[in-house]
Amino acid sequence: MEVKPKPVQRKPLEWFNLKGKRVGFWAYVVMRLSAVGLVLYLFLHLVILSQLAVGPAAWDNFVALAKSPAVLLLDVVLIIGILAHGLNGIRLTLIGFGLGVPRQKLMLWIGLILTLVFGVLSALAIFAETK
Amino acid sequence: MKLNLKIYRYKPGSEPHYDTFPVDVPETANVLDAIERAWDDLDRTIMFRHACHHASCGSCGLLVNDQEKLPCVTPVKDYGEGATLKIDPMRNMPVITDLAVDASPIYQRMALIGLPIIRDAETLRADGKEPLPEGLEAFRRFENCLECGLCLSACPVMATDPQFLGPLTLAAAERLLAEPRGVDIERIYRLVDDEHGVWRCHSSFECTEACPYEVYPGEAIMRLKRKVGLRKIKQFFGGA
Amino acid sequence: MVEKQLTRERTSSWSWILQAFTGALLLVLLGLHMVVQHFVVEGGLRDYQQVVEYLSNPFVFLLEVMFLIIVTWHALLGVRAILFDLGLQPATERKVTAILSIVGVITIAYGIWLSATIVAQGA
Repeated sequence: MEVKPKPVQRKPLEWFNLKGKRVGFWAYVVMRLSAVGLVLYLFLHLVILSQLAVGPAAWDNFVALAKSPAVLLLDVVLIIGILAHGLNGIRLTLIGFGLGVPRQKLMLWIGLILTLVFGVLSALAIFAETK
Repeated sequence: MKLNLKIYRYKPGSEPHYDTFPVDVPETANVLDAIERAWDDLDRTIMFRHACHHASCGSCGLLVNDQEKLPCVTPVKDYGEGATLKIDPMRNMPVITDLAVDASPIYQRMALIGLPIIRDAETLRADGKEPLPEGLEAFRRFENCLECGLCLSACPVMATDPQFLGPLTLAAAERLLAEPRGVDIERIYRLVDDEHGVWRCHSSFECTEACPYEVYPGEAIMRLKRKVGLRKIKQFFGGA
Repeated sequence: MVEKQLTRERTSSWSWILQAFTGALLLVLLGLHMVVQHFVVEGGLRDYQQVVEYLSNPFVFLLEVMFLIIVTWHALLGVRAILFDLGLQPATERKVTAILSIVGVITIAYGIWLSATIVAQGA
């Protein structure tokens, strides 16, 4: 009888297999999900800015919309995404250049704490201004 | 100590499924002993790879509750009385049958780098009492590598990219560049300075978490990134 | 099968280094962008007149164009990295790089055109 091994399943989302993973993997997942979110936001942002070329009324209408609570909440999500991605990016760049490698996990936690602290502060700042 | 082993079963031509085996083993047993008990008493068709039973052959690697383990040195005590242990074959390797994988992804990767682990009994030097070989600032512990492949199983990049050199190869390359011993280092640099070489690593450190023998492949890859990166930048600006 | 995929031709790559470099620049450029466009502005967003006045400052114009170039580059390098993680064939990888390069050039050209148009409207 011919024995055929069961080949490796390499589905595109196979990296997103969370089973049994540890904190470094979660940093990688957060990095990637925030990356995808920020790329989509970048292009959305550029499309929305085209209203400036349409004229003053179009842009000022958008500004009014952008100050609605729902959009402001999305702004907070955006800022948290930028903080998480940027702070972990600093960590990845440092360790990728061999700096602080034995303390990579500590850097990860510091990044997380700073993300939460500045995320909350920016949420307070954003919603304070609407009052 | 009573345990349930929920073992992944696959026989060519049939659908994969899990069989659960209740076993009773001494408290001092390791997971491999429990699997052998199931094989001994309950089902002689369970296929699993094992040889030395003391973490020196590197052949028994598998997943216990979805985490990479060498079952020969994983105490059943870690899981507690009455626990159900889910036992799967390693990830990212073809499954021949049950828990036995086709380990060629490990050996093909080691062959690419030129099988650099040729020194005898170097692990004894970790105490720092003997001088280090020339070119090494610190003891790197790559000699500890068992070639068990658990790092390849744990690596999330390996899950989608079969071209990735993998933690094992990159850690071996780092060790080799630290102390080349006459090896053609240009060939090593060409091998690892590639989209699917050192640059593909996303620093999740799952390989380091999985490694049963403190080789720390994730940390080695970071040192390799530094070495390759700085060399490229120097060469770009006209340095040697 | 495994062996053929592993023994592909290996070519020197700058993508990770560029990603780190553009990322480091973004810490500064995105920081400045956020401060000048949102934090120092009453209400967090400039109205039309304020945008036009602001962008007419050549230094600001240059800063925003720099930001546009670097952020686009960083974003598309990231998309490329995610796609390359899938273990594509070398020919497909070359196509991915070419398409993303074109997308990048178009995006940057659009951004510069938009900025210039806004400044021109104000003049």
